[in-house]
Amino acid sequence: MSTDFYNTYILPFSGIIIKLCRAYTNSQEDFEDYYQEVCLQIWRSRDNFREESEWSTYVYRISLNVCLTLLKKKKNNVQHYASDYLPAEETEDNYAFSDESLNQLYDAIRQLSEIDRAIIMLYLEEKPHQEIADIIGTNANNIGVRVKRIKIRLKKLLDGKIN
Amino acid sequence: MEKSIEEIWKDGFLKSDALIAPKINKLYSQKSIHIIDKFKRMFRKNLIAIAVGSLSFLIVSYFLHIAVMGVLFFIMMMALLFINIPLLRELENIDKGQNSYDYLKTFSHWIQKQIAVNKRFATFMYPILFVAIVVGAWYSDTGNGYLGERIASGILVVFPDTYLVFGVPLFAIVIGLIIIALLIIFGGRIYMWDLNVIYGRVLKKLDELLEDIEKIRSQDTA
Repeated sequence: MSTDFYNTYILPFSGIIIKLCRAYTNSQEDFEDYYQEVCLQIWRSRDNFREESEWSTYVYRISLNVCLTLLKKKKNNVQHYASDYLPAEETEDNYAFSDESLNQLYDAIRQLSEIDRAIIMLYLEEKPHQEIADIIGTNANNIGVRVKRIKIRLKKLLDGKIN
Repeated sequence: MEKSIEEIWKDGFLKSDALIAPKINKLYSQKSIHIIDKFKRMFRKNLIAIAVGSLSFLIVSYFLHIAVMGVLFFIMMMALLFINIPLLRELENIDKGQNSYDYLKTFSHWIQKQIAVNKRFATFMYPILFVAIVVGAWYSDTGNGYLGERIASGILVVFPDTYLVFGVPLFAIVIGLIIIALLIIFGGRIYMWDLNVIYGRVLKKLDELLEDIEKIRSQDTA
C-alpha cells in the first residue's frame, strides 16, 4: 500500500478505526490483525468510492463491515467470529487503556450486540443520527430510539446491575 | 459527581496512549484474513483444480481406453465450472463500502444463492458421475472388445437364464437404477452436509446481524 494513501486517506481516521477494532477484539494481537485488515480493505475499496457520501462515512462503513464479518483465531486455532464469545472472555491485561473508567466502558460496550456496539461507538464519536443511520442502513429516528436504549443498558452494565 | 458515558469516552481518549495506531508493514502484500477474501481464494483454487483435474482425466482416460468416462466426467466438470464462475464474479463484486445492512444482505444472499445453485447441481451431478463411471467402464476397450460385453458373456456362462436388455443383464440395470435413485435423493443432502461445515456458522452469524438491524429498521412501523 502506498504510504501516501495511508497517511492521507486512512491515518486521519485512524482514531475511529482503532476505537471500532477495540470494541470487536479483546487482545492486542487480534486488534492489530483487525486494524491491518480494515486498512487493507479501505485501500482495496478505494476505487469503489462514489463521492455520494463523505470519505469519512465511507471509511466508517468499511471499518464496521470488516469488523462485523471478520473471523479471528481463538487460542486453540479454531476460527470464530470475534463477537461470539467476547462477553465471556476477559481481555488481556496488556490490552487495557491507562484510564480505568474507559476500560470499564469498553468492557460494557463489548457486552452489547455487534450492531449496538457500532451504533454507540458512532454516537460517542458525536456522529449525527443521520450519518449513523447511513452507515448502518436504517433511518435516523430509529437510531435515536436505539441510542437511548443502549445508553440505559450501558448505564446498568456500568453500575454492575446486570452481567 | 458520576461521569456520563460521553464524558468517560471523551476524557479517556484525551490520554496520549489511548489511540496509538499499530505499526503497518507491507500491508499491500499481506494476505487478507477477511471471510469474503478467504471464500474467493477457496473458490478460485477449487475452480482451477476442477479445470486442471477434469482436463487431465480426459487425456488420461483416452490412454486408459475409458474415453467415454473421461468425456462424460469432463462435460460434468465443465458444467460445474460454467455455473460457478459467475458466482465467483458476484462474490468479487460485493462492495464493503455499502451500508452494513446492504452489505450483510448481499453477502448472505450470495451464500444462499451459491448453496441453492450447487445443491440443485449436486442432485444431478452424483447420479451422472455414477453413470459416467459405469458407462465408461462398460465401454472400456483394452483390445479384446468392450469390458461390459465380456462381463455379460461371463455372466451368461454361469447363469444362462439371465435376462438381457440391450446386452445388459436386467438385474444390473435394476441395481444401477436403484443407486441412481438414491444418489438423486441424497445428492443434495450430501452437498448440504459439506456446506454446513463451510458456511453454517457464517450464515448463522449473518442472520443474527441482519435480524438485529431489521429490528431497528422496523421500529417506526411497530
